[in-house]
Amino acid sequence: MSSPPDLAVDLGGIALRNPVLTASGTFGYGTELAPWIDLRRIGGIVSKSLTLRPRHGNLPRRIAETPAGMLNAIGLENVGVDAFLEEKLPALPDGVPVIASLFGTEIGEYRAVAERLSECDRVAGLEINASCPHVKAGGIEFGQDPGHLARLVREVRRATRLPLLVKLSPNVTDIARMAQVCEGEGADAIALINTLQALDVDVETRRPVLRNVLGGLSGPAIRPVALRMVFQAARAVSIPVCGIGGIETGEDAVKFLLCGATAVQVGTANYLDPAAALRVVEGIAEYCRRAGVASVRELVGGIELPAG
Amino acid sequence: MRAEPGEPLRARARVLENRREGPSHLRLRLAVPGFGGFSPGQFAMLSPGPLTPSRDPLLPRPMAIYRCEGEGAPDPVVEILYKVHGRGTAALAAAREGEVLGLVGPLGRGFPLPAEGEGAILVGGGTGIASLLELARRAAARGPVEVLLGARAESELMGLGDFEALDLALHVATEDGSRGRRGRVTALLPDALARAPGAAVYACGPTPMMRVAAERAAAAGRPVRASLENPMACGFGVCLGCAAPLRGGGFALVCRDGPVFDAAAVDWDRMA
Repeated sequence: MSSPPDLAVDLGGIALRNPVLTASGTFGYGTELAPWIDLRRIGGIVSKSLTLRPRHGNLPRRIAETPAGMLNAIGLENVGVDAFLEEKLPALPDGVPVIASLFGTEIGEYRAVAERLSECDRVAGLEINASCPHVKAGGIEFGQDPGHLARLVREVRRATRLPLLVKLSPNVTDIARMAQVCEGEGADAIALINTLQALDVDVETRRPVLRNVLGGLSGPAIRPVALRMVFQAARAVSIPVCGIGGIETGEDAVKFLLCGATAVQVGTANYLDPAAALRVVEGIAEYCRRAGVASVRELVGGIELPAG
Repeated sequence: MRAEPGEPLRARARVLENRREGPSHLRLRLAVPGFGGFSPGQFAMLSPGPLTPSRDPLLPRPMAIYRCEGEGAPDPVVEILYKVHGRGTAALAAAREGEVLGLVGPLGRGFPLPAEGEGAILVGGGTGIASLLELARRAAARGPVEVLLGARAESELMGLGDFEALDLALHVATEDGSRGRRGRVTALLPDALARAPGAAVYACGPTPMMRVAAERAAAAGRPVRASLENPMACGFGVCLGCAAPLRGGGFALVCRDGPVFDAAAVDWDRMA
């Protein structure tokens, strides 16, 4: 019997026991799923995006099922950074890396949240949620404009010494350029993709299904798009990439690793099965055993492209 | 491992029976090892996932737990009454004996039972009826119970025979008049409130029905416990999709803070 595969990875300075994190906004603050999953057996968790003050979120209807996926427009409901630090974080077991996702309607708010989070030893890293409409720029997402994104990453970088991830919006023409912008401004890693901007309509009422009109598409439906973007982004930068988008199984995760991701995040699948992230960990280990892979790190960027 | 009553499981539920009982509703009987019981009004997320390897439909469906036989026994049976009204429930209706479904539950906070000696009035409309059978059974052990059930037609009155088998006063309304009074179930409420002045009032059904029930009861100075049916993706408080607006601002999660709420706390104007 050979030794078990080595699943440990380093994601931009965050040491993970395995490459499987839970995606922001799909795993609450970590404690909600504790009845069903041992958090110490997954790589770590990414918190719900935190703002300076608590946010109530959007009116219903907030979610809708779509073919092999779902739409959401939750409106960034969250308890705020102070309640996260004082109530949510201490409730998590030791030994679970926690990456705090942060968000603001202006760069100053991002910076203030980053500073608060950086005071806490329990936070292993930060993830900038750049898919937020930039109020002063007329509502365009920070992550959709290279100039806005560069300023955002630069300012947050100045506010923290923690490992800094930037979660990229897929709603752009050139994802490689966005990845390079983050690397150039000192990000330690990038994570992609966030949800794809989408819409569904009820033909009986002739109204948008979601109260917010537009929502973000997630789930298996977006997986091939996510793989393509991870592939392109990973080839454009030398910082680690964290792959996100419709991952449900170990094999799904391995595809992202082969396309250049160092780690992955499991999102919508958590709704279907609160132990989904653990199943992905087990699935990666099983693949490694089957394929004779000693360390999961050997898989990163290992896609075999056709010659010429 | 056996769960304590109410402790939520993530279980493989084997289909024992999935029988059509009306033009559009079915009775699903599931063997759920370890299921330790539930409080009336709690629900489970049933995953059509294993039925649909293509992951379409993707999401599990919240289903009221209708009743449970042999709670705490090695192989308890969980019963679900449901109506086919979309792709998820259509996939569920195709499940055959022996197939395995994903089940997470019981979830949420159910109905607070009436006090010992206190009566109860239960108002159920459409699929909301499925949330009320266990409540009716337990409330009947504490005091007199009146159950008011409504549907479009007699054939759509889910579980009618099970309610008839309980020792309680049953009143029915159908929109086509095929059974009981013609009209909506909420029309039966004022008389019931007058007959049972001290009874606790409970409601489950479509949002407009619960809203009317709440308004009629409030006009008589009576609070209502209403079980909401908002769409949800997870059932355990992380997708935040099922938020119900509260009077005075903010939201509560139907899955975690409910599904049962004091109807006066809900901002019905801002419900989807």
